[in-house]
Amino acid sequence: MAAAVPLRLDELTVRYGERVAVDRLSIRVGPGEIYGLLGSNGAGKTSTIKSVVGLVRPAGGRVEVFGHDAGTDGLWVKAAVGYVPETSLLYDALTPREFLEFVASVRRLDRALASERTRSYVTAFRLEEEFDEPILTLSNGTRQKVLLIAALLHQPPLLVLDEPLNSLDPRSVRIMKDLLVRYVAGGERGILFSTHTMEVAEQLCHRVGILDRGVLRGEGSLGALREKVAAGDATLEEVFLRLTEEGEGVRAAVDSLGAP
Amino acid sequence: MSWRDARRLSDVAFSELSLQAIYAIRQGNLVPAGPPRRLVARARTRVLQSKAIVSFVLGLLAFGVAFALRQSRFERAVFAGPVPPGIFDAGLLTGLLSLDVAFLWWTGMQVLPTFLSSGVLPVLEALPIDDRTLGRTAGLLYLRLFDLPALTVLVATPLLVGLALGPWAGVAVLPGALAAVGFALALSLVTGRFFVRRVQGARGGGGSTVVRWSYLVLWLVPAFAMFAFVTAAGAFFDFLGNVATQGPSVTGHLLLAAFPFSFAALPAIAANGTPGFGLDPVGWLFLVAASAGYLLLAAWSVLWVVASVRRVSLVPPATARPPARARLDLAPQPAMVAVLTKDLRIASRTPGFAFLILLPILDALVLGLWTYASAPNSAVASGLALAAVTIAALLATFFGPAFFAIEVLAYSYGRTLPLSDRSLLAGKVLLVALMYLVASGIVLGLALARVFDPAVFALFVAAELPAVVAASLLELGILFRRARTRGLPVTNLYAGAWYAIFVSVPGLLVAAAPLVAFQTARAEGSYVGLAVMGAIALGELAFAAPFALRRGGS
Repeated sequence: MAAAVPLRLDELTVRYGERVAVDRLSIRVGPGEIYGLLGSNGAGKTSTIKSVVGLVRPAGGRVEVFGHDAGTDGLWVKAAVGYVPETSLLYDALTPREFLEFVASVRRLDRALASERTRSYVTAFRLEEEFDEPILTLSNGTRQKVLLIAALLHQPPLLVLDEPLNSLDPRSVRIMKDLLVRYVAGGERGILFSTHTMEVAEQLCHRVGILDRGVLRGEGSLGALREKVAAGDATLEEVFLRLTEEGEGVRAAVDSLGAP
Repeated sequence: MSWRDARRLSDVAFSELSLQAIYAIRQGNLVPAGPPRRLVARARTRVLQSKAIVSFVLGLLAFGVAFALRQSRFERAVFAGPVPPGIFDAGLLTGLLSLDVAFLWWTGMQVLPTFLSSGVLPVLEALPIDDRTLGRTAGLLYLRLFDLPALTVLVATPLLVGLALGPWAGVAVLPGALAAVGFALALSLVTGRFFVRRVQGARGGGGSTVVRWSYLVLWLVPAFAMFAFVTAAGAFFDFLGNVATQGPSVTGHLLLAAFPFSFAALPAIAANGTPGFGLDPVGWLFLVAASAGYLLLAAWSVLWVVASVRRVSLVPPATARPPARARLDLAPQPAMVAVLTKDLRIASRTPGFAFLILLPILDALVLGLWTYASAPNSAVASGLALAAVTIAALLATFFGPAFFAIEVLAYSYGRTLPLSDRSLLAGKVLLVALMYLVASGIVLGLALARVFDPAVFALFVAAELPAVVAASLLELGILFRRARTRGLPVTNLYAGAWYAIFVSVPGLLVAAAPLVAFQTARAEGSYVGLAVMGAIALGELAFAAPFALRRGGS
């Protein structure tokens, strides 16, 4: 029997007042897949992700997680998702221990399992010394590690990660990359991953979707996208610029800056 | 760069500070819809409104004292009793100046955490601005937090005292008003710095938690200064009356050297020619030296504040102890209890919330001790004990909106967790009920030996409990319903204070109804009153619980 589809967006539309942030977006994150959502600032990546995790109410369309409608079965979807937001806005007055304890409680993890996973992640990310410091006092990178652990603590079948490698040190970036690849290796889980960094997307993602002003300009593996723009050995960055028709704009902008 | 540049920079920084204070965006609140310019303008207006409210209270205090000073000239028996005019005036003005310091300090303690955590000044540090201008900008920004309230003290106090006691008395009270403002500014900064380093930046763990809560009790001191002055006014005037009968004495000299009596004595002397008791050369020496010393200290305080704000704002919140390797176990709890624990932990590092939690408990402690000090089985003792529980029950109606406001923190993350509004609401109601029971338990413990009938008292506490729970359920049910339909946190204590007040009204009515019923029905006997009270409270709970907890309702 085929594994259920971790995430399906069907004609998703997000509006902020008159402004359309996401326009009839349809994508699918398959079982065992890391799907990269790429786009410039304001392209609609974060709005898409926020509508998956229930922070933004879509103006139209449907969000389905393993067949459950996020609009009508929100709690089930939230239980099935591990989310890392773009900005590390946490309960600043709590320590990582207190925060993770709250998350583990809400996610109904038992003590032994929660402790075992916490020990593994905290040790891997070298967070022991900051574990009882208020989050307020932590660096951005350390806060990001706390968020990553919170997202992974219940080992959800769907990870939704908005710029998850931001602020992390190289060692932690490497750990995260390897971990994400292994995370979906079983062929049932899925990851929706947004990033600005083309190299990361190129290394990690099985498929990418390129968003531009709320519209999906292209989707597929790197090979498929190269074919689409007829660029045999282009990097993902070049493919991205062609699909978003930004290549000329970039050259013009650099020329206008002259020699610094 | 000049003072003009510093003023311009402080204006920009003040807009950012207002935005952070009102919308708590750095704490994880979602940015409200609307053009940024309008949001900033709205934030500045609301900060101005807050300052206007504080100023109004300060003005009202000055007016009240001036009214009493004026009327005591005509109705001595009512206002001053046996206390001579000079010492009566000085006593009242001592109260006014103490309350001015306490209220300004309390205001500072409310706004300083936001000021220091907003990161407004560190942003300016990265810009090519010279040190002197940065220092001036920081100082001006800090002074702007207090501008309207401080001006009210500096203008209203001399003006109203002048109208009541004559123009020279008005002039003579000005040094006292200046010193009150100077000391309050400095105390605010000192305690603010202390808070950032030792409370906000304190580690987790049992010992640290006890220390944090102890610090937060200290934070309540200014608020309780007001309460204490009102309750202790009678004893204070008795003491002044005794000093007045002694003539020149060591006690009188020490009184003249004590802040703020030394300043309060000046307008009293200007109006009456005497502070109300014999003033020998030593007394004059004490008075002049103390007034001049305090005034110099206040001036130095203001200079220190202006010079130190920048440095204090750059100190990162940090624990004093070196980092230690932690035990890495977690102890998950049922969701409802986890909400309660999280709220208590946040409150233990957030004075605004800690204040709410500690207020009914300390209030119960004070009234409980007062009950204990009363004559056994007296009407006063039983009245005080019942009043303490009544106050705890009514105060509890303000906690619902306050604890809802905690959800505004990290709102954008918290709403992605699989936590139903039901569990969230139940956790918060549990905390409100616990606070009511702790406060009532303190009164019960202290008053047991003094109350007319402990069983009646315990039943009174129990009968009111369903009403307290019903009031919280009703308030939180309204707030959660609105949050769900609007898709945003509808209020924090600053951004939507009107809504928090609005939902407190039905809560207050629900909590008050059984208390009123008890007072009405107790004429038929205490147990009859309690039965009526309990029946009404249970009826309210039966109505509020389905409203708040129904599936889909919250």
